[in-house]
Amino acid sequence: MPSLVLVLATAAAAGAQTAQPLTVTSAALKADETIPRDYTADGRNISPPLQWSGAPASTKEFAVICDDPDVPMPQPFVHWVIYKIPGTATGLPENIPIDPATSMPAEVAGAVQGTSGFRRPIYRGPAPPPGKPHHYHFKVYAIDAVLDLKPGLTKAELLEAIKGHVVGEGELVAIYERKPAS
Amino acid sequence: MAQTLKGTDVVIIGLGAAGGIACLPLAEAGLQVIGLEAGTWLTRRDFAPDEIRNNVRDWPQAVQKANHEVPTHRVSATAPTTRASSHPMMNGVGGTTLHYWAQSWRLNPWDFKVVSETTRRYGRTRVPAGSTVEDWPFGYEELEPYYDKIEWETGVSGKAGNLKGTPDLRGNVFEGPRQREYPMPPLRGTGFTDLMGAAARGLGWRPFPGPAQINSRTFQDRSPCMYHGYCNRGGCHVDAKNGTNVTTIPRGQKTGRFSVVTRAHVTGVDVDARGRASAVRYVTDGEEFVQPARVVLLAAYTYENARLLLLSKSKAFPNGLSNNHGQVGRHYFSHTTGASVTALFPFDLNTWYGLPAQGVAVDDWADDNFDHAGLDFIGGGNLWVYSDRRPIQAANMNTFGRAPGWGAQWKAFVRQHADRANTAYLQKTTLPYEDNYLDLDPQVKDPLGFPVLRITADYRDNERRIGTFIQDKMEAWYRAAGATDIIRGPLGTMGLNTHAYGGTRMGDNPEANVVNRWGFSHEVPNLGILGGSVMGTSGAHNPTLTLQALAWRTADHLVRNWKSIAE
Amino acid sequence: MISRRDLLKVAGAAAAGAASPLERSDAPHSPSTPAPHPTSHDRQSSARRPLEALTADEADLLTAIVARLIPSDESGPGAVEAGAVHYIDRSLAGPLAPSRDAYRGGLAALERYAVSSRGRPFRELSPTDQDSLLIDLETGGATGSGAGFDGSSAAFFALIKAHTWQGTFGDPYYGGNQGFVGWDLLGYPGVRTAVVPDDQRLGTKPVPLRRSAYDSDMFNKA
Repeated sequence: MPSLVLVLATAAAAGAQTAQPLTVTSAALKADETIPRDYTADGRNISPPLQWSGAPASTKEFAVICDDPDVPMPQPFVHWVIYKIPGTATGLPENIPIDPATSMPAEVAGAVQGTSGFRRPIYRGPAPPPGKPHHYHFKVYAIDAVLDLKPGLTKAELLEAIKGHVVGEGELVAIYERKPAS
Repeated sequence: MAQTLKGTDVVIIGLGAAGGIACLPLAEAGLQVIGLEAGTWLTRRDFAPDEIRNNVRDWPQAVQKANHEVPTHRVSATAPTTRASSHPMMNGVGGTTLHYWAQSWRLNPWDFKVVSETTRRYGRTRVPAGSTVEDWPFGYEELEPYYDKIEWETGVSGKAGNLKGTPDLRGNVFEGPRQREYPMPPLRGTGFTDLMGAAARGLGWRPFPGPAQINSRTFQDRSPCMYHGYCNRGGCHVDAKNGTNVTTIPRGQKTGRFSVVTRAHVTGVDVDARGRASAVRYVTDGEEFVQPARVVLLAAYTYENARLLLLSKSKAFPNGLSNNHGQVGRHYFSHTTGASVTALFPFDLNTWYGLPAQGVAVDDWADDNFDHAGLDFIGGGNLWVYSDRRPIQAANMNTFGRAPGWGAQWKAFVRQHADRANTAYLQKTTLPYEDNYLDLDPQVKDPLGFPVLRITADYRDNERRIGTFIQDKMEAWYRAAGATDIIRGPLGTMGLNTHAYGGTRMGDNPEANVVNRWGFSHEVPNLGILGGSVMGTSGAHNPTLTLQALAWRTADHLVRNWKSIAE
Repeated sequence: MISRRDLLKVAGAAAAGAASPLERSDAPHSPSTPAPHPTSHDRQSSARRPLEALTADEADLLTAIVARLIPSDESGPGAVEAGAVHYIDRSLAGPLAPSRDAYRGGLAALERYAVSSRGRPFRELSPTDQDSLLIDLETGGATGSGAGFDGSSAAFFALIKAHTWQGTFGDPYYGGNQGFVGWDLLGYPGVRTAVVPDDQRLGTKPVPLRRSAYDSDMFNKA
């Protein structure tokens, strides 16, 4: 009896419900391996393809945040914020448009980009100062409601807005390093 | 070999706002006066309405003195030192009055008595800790006749709000009592300033048109303002802006007793064996001159006033002229004008023309005009909204998070909104503090090899709290007028400023002040100092009219006491 | 209120024979007259204008860059038509000469970066890829790429942007804002040496005056 009470208390303390783990993969990125150049500022700097699975049936929308905790700042540097991805999507194709006049690919119609640390509502890939590898966390959130989210939200604003609605969470971490100029 | 020139009665170092005023009463009284100005004459023909020249390229001048002597700055004695790329003031006959905004305010009576009035109303503990603020050695009433003098001699347009104690809502009801009206009505308003005035009245505030040292109608045979939109860091193409270059300096010259020496780069003030000022040294075209004088008036702007004193060392004054009490450079501060507020409106404001002095003011939240019980600061700020916008400036406008800074989206944003944003001018009470001061930079030198000035200064809690309070008020005002988006700017730090005060403060006590209540050095009886460097408080308004009134008063005092001062 | 006496005083102050410095809003232009777009002849002649500081290749690359900063589109002409490159070139031969090395080095680094990151010279990239590259310059992302920017790529981007804005929105006397393309984009009604109360009302716009500050003889040239 006491152990049951302990489990329930822990669940209540963690929030409305515990998030299920999502499996996040990519046709282009491998966990803990170097990100191919075209998804970085050393290449075309297009957004990478992402795939996910394991979202609960209650999922209505997805959100993705990419950030780098290896910066010498109090908070990780945010490279991408994208949300209102339809709950039917199983991933993001690569090269999400940077021009707002170009519409989202059909499978993620309605997706909206938020404001990154570069102060633009687009994906900007790794551009680390040379000398050490940085880790890039591609985090996927499954959300159980269609929320009224304005375009251009920052990571902090998005996380605040989805609080209590996250029913699935997963991430893929890849790395990138620039060599010092010779 | 330095060439010693024929002696004169008075030498004025610097012919800007302050020096340019003092020459007239002195010359009219019969004294022989020489004005040494580092810059040159400029005329109407030099003042094209040209944003690239005036605002982007920062007034390129043939004479570059101030720009080679830019002070360094650090926020505290342990912080690293930085240096701006240009100086906010300019050298020229008329000094920065050649292009200044020409807002022309009297200080509030409270500004003269900050310590005693705060103590009386709220208790001594409300005077901010660490501040070295003192009451001025005299009150507003003493300066009133000199404010009047400058307003009528140079031409200030405005509307009295307190004529001999009778309040008039068409003017500033918070101002100290004045004996007579302004010589000219205020500059006209615009559709936008009228809208803002109505919004202020809707909030229960008391808006009014601000006073300007600019002709609103023909005055002294000079044209009225043309409102053309290039007054901001621009000279006046019709001489309606009443800088000393078109008012007191030419009238001083007409007496035949005042001569202007241009391109005179002053390097120091000499003293004689008795420790009295004896001559001023300057360089023109590489040649050194010594100009002897019976009285020296230092009017080179706050930074250069302190620097010249510190550079003028002698046996009698080993730490700099008039600095035996260690007060030169102390009680320095510059006006808190950061913590900005910018608004976006959903309609065109038609502010392409006008000038910074064409606007509407609210003083309900300035000085001690409101009850500070329950607040955690003293003083306040003047809220000023004006009509002034040029194309490159508009193209650089904040996009309020609605578009990036370039590209097709930016272009669409700017097409629609270029005439829809406005930024207020928010001058706030600033105090002197123990830890804010001026001295000579130990490393950086000017082209002649002299150390430049170093500013060690930052805002304190009182300024920060006023900053937020005034931003709240300004946001409320813009929104009441229909603004949809508001951006608040940071307070910044106490760096280089066109409103700089202290460094040669005026006060009765020689242990804490450099000049006495008449503007003459406690230690060097025939050395007078003019300019904001003698002011001990800023108030929430521009310093120019006040320092000009003080300059005329100092000159008057010199004339009345010529024998005892000049010996 | 400006009296007739005042108007005469100001007119007398202008150089003899010069156009009156006073513009009234009932001047001959009708408010519905649209701004004349620069003709293709104007564009060609600005392209053929002899260069003073930039090489032909640098001017060409710079043209492609400013075409993305303020593009020409259905809403109207942009920085290229305004002659922003001509402004920059002329200024680099004069007051902006201290920036010549920055342009030389920065443009070369930009081209190296285009090839190394996007696989082709800048001018051969799609507009989207050009924009993406310029964003990387602007954010400093291009700095550590090995392209050899002197300091941060963001500083070079800021330099080009500032000069492009001056060249698009500054007085045409300096070589930019040709045909008043820039002022028309903003809706800036142009230089007036006298502004009457009607010019400052809400709900109306002063008639655009397409003049440089230096068109009359009233002022010494900058």
